[in-house]
Amino acid sequence: MSGLPRPADGLSRITIMQGETRVSDDPGVILTTVLGSCISACLFDPVTKVGGLNHFLLAEPGAGETDARSLQRYGVYAMEVLINAMMAMGASRSNLKARIYGGASLRDGFRDIGATNALFARRFLRDERITLVGEDVGGHGARRVEFRPTLGLARCRIAVDRPVERLRAPAIVPRPAAPVGDVEFF
Amino acid sequence: MSSTIMTVDDSPSMRMLLRAALTDLGYKVLDAEDGVQALERLEGAEPDLLITDINMPRLDGFGLIEKVREQDRHRNLPILVLTTESSDEKKQRARSAGATGWIVKPFHPEKLAAAIRRVLH
Repeated sequence: MSGLPRPADGLSRITIMQGETRVSDDPGVILTTVLGSCISACLFDPVTKVGGLNHFLLAEPGAGETDARSLQRYGVYAMEVLINAMMAMGASRSNLKARIYGGASLRDGFRDIGATNALFARRFLRDERITLVGEDVGGHGARRVEFRPTLGLARCRIAVDRPVERLRAPAIVPRPAAPVGDVEFF
Repeated sequence: MSSTIMTVDDSPSMRMLLRAALTDLGYKVLDAEDGVQALERLEGAEPDLLITDINMPRLDGFGLIEKVREQDRHRNLPILVLTTESSDEKKQRARSAGATGWIVKPFHPEKLAAAIRRVLH
């Protein structure tokens, strides 16, 4: 995106992989991820200066179900993990703003998973009344996203093949959930 | 006569998903967006089951469960927690507050249906 300053020396890059979520209130952190057909939602609270991003592909984990409701359940879960982690760090749901990235169509002739992901993300934000302030979705190329969580600013560019420096994450990582839909009676 | 379930979650998307799933199972659904609104709606309603999220503004799930259990007419109302959380500490807290059970998101329709049948019938 034009006009964004390049990250300064001393900023820590934290790489987020598919299925992961990271939040941070550290102004020295850049959250980064590489996206194909997956979607990444970058959420930030401009008041408390807390931000985070996720990286997910709509799918029912482990079950192989692809009906619309199953996909939506997993997508809503992925977004809720991010929102809850931000709230745990002090963010307020009513302040949240969003940017979405990814959702590319990477192969001709295959189900357009990327478009489905992007559609879900837009619809979710609309239903949750979270303002979408920026996006770069669709197309056919993989993307590298770099997100400054405390500023709510992002850089998105076509990914090139080069190593990404990984650092130990100081940001909060939501604990993994139990098996899908696990029920326990007290 | 079909049973009535009250669902409490601050996510409109989750409330819609739950409403669709529960309606498909033949239940009537009341919903609320947080613990405060749930208490307000409970004043004029007699649901057969309460399903609540934990992380909500104004009054969270733990607070809601405690407030509900303080009311004599809801002392035996089954309450299921439906949440992304899975820590033993939070489960214990819900249990101490008076919850009946704990379901981890994303919910599985068949597991949810079985859990509801168990507490209602």
